[in-house]
Amino acid sequence: MRTATFVSLFLAVATTTVAGCGGSFPPPSERLATAEAAARSARELGADKDPKAALHLKLAQEQIDQAKAQMKAEENKKADQTLSRAGADAELAVALAKENNARTETEKAKEKIKSLKKEGK
Amino acid sequence: MRTVTALRLSPTTSAMALLAVLSLAAVGCGSTLPPKELVDARAAYDTASKGPAAQQTPAELHTARQALDQAERLFNDEGDGQVTKHAAYDAIRKAQAADSMGRTAVLAKEKEAAEKDAQALEGDIHRKTQGELAKTKAELERERAALEKSREQLERERIAREEAEKKAAQALADLRKFAEVKSEARGTVITLSGGVLFVSNESTLSAGAMAKLAEVSDALIKSDPDSSITIEGHTDNQGQAKYNDELSQKRADAVRDYFVSRGIAKDRIKSNGLGAARPIAPNTSPEGRANNRRVEIIITPAKK
Repeated sequence: MRTATFVSLFLAVATTTVAGCGGSFPPPSERLATAEAAARSARELGADKDPKAALHLKLAQEQIDQAKAQMKAEENKKADQTLSRAGADAELAVALAKENNARTETEKAKEKIKSLKKEGK
Repeated sequence: MRTVTALRLSPTTSAMALLAVLSLAAVGCGSTLPPKELVDARAAYDTASKGPAAQQTPAELHTARQALDQAERLFNDEGDGQVTKHAAYDAIRKAQAADSMGRTAVLAKEKEAAEKDAQALEGDIHRKTQGELAKTKAELERERAALEKSREQLERERIAREEAEKKAAQALADLRKFAEVKSEARGTVITLSGGVLFVSNESTLSAGAMAKLAEVSDALIKSDPDSSITIEGHTDNQGQAKYNDELSQKRADAVRDYFVSRGIAKDRIKSNGLGAARPIAPNTSPEGRANNRRVEIIITPAKK
């Protein structure tokens, strides 16, 4: 009786440990989708045109690819963490691309003023 | 031999080794030293909080702050493991993103202000251009109107001139029916027979004479308003010279007075009674004498 209890306790602990190791960690599909969507947004916003945005988009894409490989290898927990980084980089790429676009538009507006002032003379 | 030596040195050596290991362990597990990611995250947040994000995008800056706090908590609770590093990495990116968004917001405001200025400038230029256009248009219109006016004026003058010439030609044609018209060095000479204008020995114009003289005054004299007119009275050689002189003067005066009554300025007309001094035919025949009894109207064009 005591032995049985001990065995079952051992089994329970063992199971918990296995789960903790990420063996049964669910594939981070949602995180993958979020990171990929962010990377796509950054690309659509013209992240390639700004060196800093392009760098973070590249980092995001590399980490997305790495996470996919990890998921294939069933290292889901690692993949989840990699995707967390990928998402952070993709979001930063989005912000930087937007900033770059805003800078271009502001410069354009200022150029217009300059040319208008010239024209008005 | 070597083994012996080693064994002999053993107590001191092992103590030193132990100390070294212990100190190493202290540093190693002294998770008091934060990982590079966390140091970077703190710096990134510091930069972002000093940038425009604090004013422009406080919500994003707050999110970055929360990410940094989370990384700090994990570092405190679990040391410098992967979880802490991942959290710190996230905090770095969030701080950088917040900083970027702050700059973006500033740029957007600058753009808005610039566009507003541009719009105002465009308005100014538009108004200026419109004003100049209106001015040019008005000038053109004035010029066109002036041109039209001068064209109309010229046309009126041309018509008037043509009419005057026609009238003059007509008057001349009418005149030739009862008078002789000649061009001489002294001007146009219209010779009217005395019998046409006056009853014998009278110096009062007959009604028929007035109608004829009216035509002369209207046509020939008025057509050239600057010409001067000389009226000469002539007689035949019958009777006393003094009487003839007086009669011819009275007749010339009568014609002059009639012209003045028709509106011709007095200072344009001179009248001379020349009596029998200048016959144009021999006084030996009745026809010759009739020809000599005459009034000559000499129209001298204005000296240009």
